[in-house]
Amino acid sequence: MKMMVIFLLSLLLIVGFVAFASKPSPVYGGLSLVASGGLGCAIVVSLENTFLGLVVFLVYLGGMLVVFGYTAAMATEEYPESWVGNAVAFGMLLFTLLVELIWYFVSGEVEIVTAVELFDSVGSFCVGRDYSGVSLLYGCGGWALVLLGWILFITIYIVLEVVRGRD
Amino acid sequence: MSPYVMLIISASLLLGTSLTLLSNHWFTAWMGLEINTLAIIPMMTYPNHSRAAESAIKYFLTQATASMIMMFAIIYNAWMTNQWTLFQISNQVASTLMTLALATKLGLAPFHFWVPEVTQGIPLSSGMILLTWQKVAPTSIMYQISPSLNMKILITLAILSTLLGGWGGLNQTHLRKILAYSSIAHMGWMVIIISINPTMALLNLLIYISATLTLFLSLNLTSTTKIKSLANLWNKSTPMTLIIMLTLLSLGGLPPLTGFMPKWLILQELVAHNNITMAMLMAFSALLNLFFYMRIIYTSALTIFPSTNNSKLQWCYPQTKKITLIPLLTVISSMLLPLSPLFITLS
Repeated sequence: MKMMVIFLLSLLLIVGFVAFASKPSPVYGGLSLVASGGLGCAIVVSLENTFLGLVVFLVYLGGMLVVFGYTAAMATEEYPESWVGNAVAFGMLLFTLLVELIWYFVSGEVEIVTAVELFDSVGSFCVGRDYSGVSLLYGCGGWALVLLGWILFITIYIVLEVVRGRD
Repeated sequence: MSPYVMLIISASLLLGTSLTLLSNHWFTAWMGLEINTLAIIPMMTYPNHSRAAESAIKYFLTQATASMIMMFAIIYNAWMTNQWTLFQISNQVASTLMTLALATKLGLAPFHFWVPEVTQGIPLSSGMILLTWQKVAPTSIMYQISPSLNMKILITLAILSTLLGGWGGLNQTHLRKILAYSSIAHMGWMVIIISINPTMALLNLLIYISATLTLFLSLNLTSTTKIKSLANLWNKSTPMTLIIMLTLLSLGGLPPLTGFMPKWLILQELVAHNNITMAMLMAFSALLNLFFYMRIIYTSALTIFPSTNNSKLQWCYPQTKKITLIPLLTVISSMLLPLSPLFITLS
């Protein structure tokens, strides 16, 4: 059952990626990026890393929604082009083929079940025990928290510095 | 730029590279590269015109793509080998991806298109940082993982870089573009030796950085960005013609100057490994670089272009810009060849 859920979510994730790679209009690009982001978090959650999935969902999609709202506001077209038309169809075909090829060269075999097992191994060995990992950020890993805080600070600082009006 | 903003940005620029140099975990090394990329962007867009913004966007997009590929390589490596330390990247796929990401960050040949474009659009001082300080962090990563890099890929990148760095600069009239192509060629020299003798690559980077700093500071003194403006250099500041000539010849690798040392040692190392074809290709492609350096020298130092009499007295007006570092850097970038035994022993 769990296998089936992860398989379905992974399939939808790839479809979402193909959708935003072949986006006809930035509005729909943002929309499918939000959708694939949510699906990625759902995969992490279904691998029993509930806290990590939830935090990434809230933070990442919080940021994504801002970007999405921004692109939606910037797009002046009244009827933005959706996924119809030959060019978009061929683009989708191309990107799907690309995904297949990358998968083929990276894994050496086109077998989806392996993928699920490998995702599982990521879940239990690398990003597992997410609660303890987060608690370490407030203990011996405090320097990393300070560093990450500084990075977030200079990111917003630099964005403001670049976009602010100058005479 | 406001001094407070400048303080925070330059501190972050220093922090980014130091973080990459100090870390032995892939995540912190990656974070250092990201801080670097972010911190130089306001310096690039400082003049606030569209060319600078275009350069900054091109730089950001290239570096973000390279960082993403690098992150993918890191995670793939951790997935396959279950370890995060920076010393080994034993997985083949991860190693190849990492090589390509670092090549994009350094501006090596098939991924070099951003270097001239970005350098052309930003002021000389930012260009100086871009072509010197920004190379340190990716080079340090490449140095640390050099035993596990694929040598065939590295050699292909290196040969392409030296050839395209030479050919690309041939008909350019803009100095920043010429310096960018010179940077591509020197990165090629650095990468060809990095899997054989990594210390030699660091030596090459060090000497390239000192020579490039000298050039950028001398050009910044007269705010020169085109070859034809250099024709008037002799009456603005006569010693600068000599300094630019020496530094360019040193970058080109002529014997009594510092720049000969890394080229000499690299060629010797290649020949010692029975790699005579590579050594010959590298030596020949350095001639292309020397040719366009000679064009700059011809205009700035070897000819006096005709001008009206009252424009020949610019040298007697006091200069507004300081030359604090230029004499020191000139000595470093032109007279260090007698110290090469010291460099070899220290390495």
